[in-house]
Amino acid sequence: MITHVLSIVADGVLLGLIYAITGLGLSLVLGVMGIVNVAHSAFVMLGSFLAFELFRRFGVDPVLAFVLALPVFFVLGTVVYRVVITRVQSAAQTQGLVAMFGLMVLIENLGTIVWTTDTRVVTAAYTNTSLEVGGVVLPYVRLIAGGLALLLIGAFWAFLRFTLTGRAIRAMAQNPEAARIVGVDIQRLSAVMFGLGIACAGAAGVALAMVFPFSPNTQVVWLAWAFLVVILGGLGNVANTLFAGVAVGLIQAVCTAVMPFDYVYLVLYVLLAVILTVRREGLSSAVRRTI
Amino acid sequence: MFSVFLIPTSTGSRAAAAAVWAAWVAVLIGLAAYGLFGTRLFLLSTLATVFMYAVLTQAWNLLGGYGGYLNFGLVTFFGIGAYTTGILFQYYELSPFLTAPVAGLVAAIAGLLIGFPTLRLRGAYFALVTMIITFAVQILALNLTITQGALGIYLPRLPLSPLAVERLFYFVFLGLLVLVTAVVWAVQHSNIGGALVAIREDEDAAEIVGVRTVEVKWAVNAVSCFIVGVTGGLYAQRIAYIEPTGTFSFDISLNVVLMAVIGGAGTWQGPLIGAPVVLLVADLLRVTVTSEVNRVIFSLIVILIALFVPGGVMGAVSRWRRARAAKPDDVSGSPAP
Repeated sequence: MITHVLSIVADGVLLGLIYAITGLGLSLVLGVMGIVNVAHSAFVMLGSFLAFELFRRFGVDPVLAFVLALPVFFVLGTVVYRVVITRVQSAAQTQGLVAMFGLMVLIENLGTIVWTTDTRVVTAAYTNTSLEVGGVVLPYVRLIAGGLALLLIGAFWAFLRFTLTGRAIRAMAQNPEAARIVGVDIQRLSAVMFGLGIACAGAAGVALAMVFPFSPNTQVVWLAWAFLVVILGGLGNVANTLFAGVAVGLIQAVCTAVMPFDYVYLVLYVLLAVILTVRREGLSSAVRRTI
Repeated sequence: MFSVFLIPTSTGSRAAAAAVWAAWVAVLIGLAAYGLFGTRLFLLSTLATVFMYAVLTQAWNLLGGYGGYLNFGLVTFFGIGAYTTGILFQYYELSPFLTAPVAGLVAAIAGLLIGFPTLRLRGAYFALVTMIITFAVQILALNLTITQGALGIYLPRLPLSPLAVERLFYFVFLGLLVLVTAVVWAVQHSNIGGALVAIREDEDAAEIVGVRTVEVKWAVNAVSCFIVGVTGGLYAQRIAYIEPTGTFSFDISLNVVLMAVIGGAGTWQGPLIGAPVVLLVADLLRVTVTSEVNRVIFSLIVILIALFVPGGVMGAVSRWRRARAAKPDDVSGSPAP
């Protein structure tokens, strides 16, 4: 019994770390730039397929794909920023939302054309092996994916905390006008920030691909998870996002243990509604960003 | 995005305005005449679909166009409406024509449930939640026993010839469209319309001047979902078979956003222009490409319009009118004062 509970907890924490990085990009972009990136999960899906293609064509290990995804998606993110976001930034929010919605549909369907709607998996050498500690079974993939996620979160935290660019980003989140006055290049930094958010989404996609089967047309599920993490953890705060991710992972692990898998999604949506109802101030804290 | 319509457009003369109204009435009479005397099944059925989408887009327009709260999952409420009439027929043998208002009510309740937590917040949260909720409702429809899962529900075929059935739905949806357009027109020219536009343009300011923003959003969202639910309920009877994948198809949500954005959200004319344009293009494309390529093209159009032509056709029209009004001695040859 106790090992059963422990394995549920371990499972939940490891999954939660992955969910945390899935939500992190969304949280940072929303918290710092005030952009609701509804196309976030489409980039997560692209990350999964990056891992899939690298593995299928060149036998690249997902761990390496995780590292490779960061620069690739950073560049992709800055391109999207230059092409789409800069044009809608000064316009009303609805315009940006419509554009990002179009981008989401575009990526999803390009993905469907290239990879069809078949469900894919990435099977590394260690996929079906697991570590056993005192009766608790920990699959290696989950350990590795969770560990990578934790490393990435740590890197983001340190980046925002200790580097000059990180400080500038925090300044921008608190007060863009004041940041500009003291010499922060808002445009360039926004591009960097959006790139980082998308890089995070891509890396999260790789981590998710290690653990779950995936297909282009179910990507919106990850938007739901990412959004839940953002709502639980608040905007733009790396540490809170980490805890929120772990909480979501634990909730999912417990739910999976007691009910059929499809119903887990429903619990998630109910949770989403409840949190939105209860925590409205915490949520609309675009004004009170903490980073 | 839609604030281009804030500038008064009644710069033309009274005669010009009357001419535009006469044109709308003439189109309506022409459509009614075709419905009565037309015999081409394909055209009748395509037009009936155009009317149905125009109704959905008008409903989306209420909150999305005027209020700036974008519903990216309109099909959720459409599907809920379709399943309501489907289930009511399955278990109580009630005709969807009778139960369509019930379908509207159920969809409105669903709209309230989703709107209660999200509409108290600012725009983007509503958009996100409506987008991801479709998936949840679809799972529900697949797993519940009452909806018969992937098996779906069969509705009775009407005891009429195919042509008569299409003609019936042609007039059902045309009538609904006229009704809903009248509602949207009335809303646009009422306090509610003003309140919605105020919310879209600056919600804080709207609240300060005394607009009960949250209540307005809830009410308008419920009305919008009601209309969509009724349409879904009638649609179930029209196609006579509903199952989760097709009834909750994301294409419907996408089409509606596209139609509103192309025609010009936030005007009562926008959906009337957008729906036929999009469906015409879709019909042309359907012959040649797969549905994925179709969606790729449509999503590209959505992005391009959002980036370069905010306000769609109606936005372009009102910009053109304003430009003309600004230059008194232009090509139209009106005498300079």
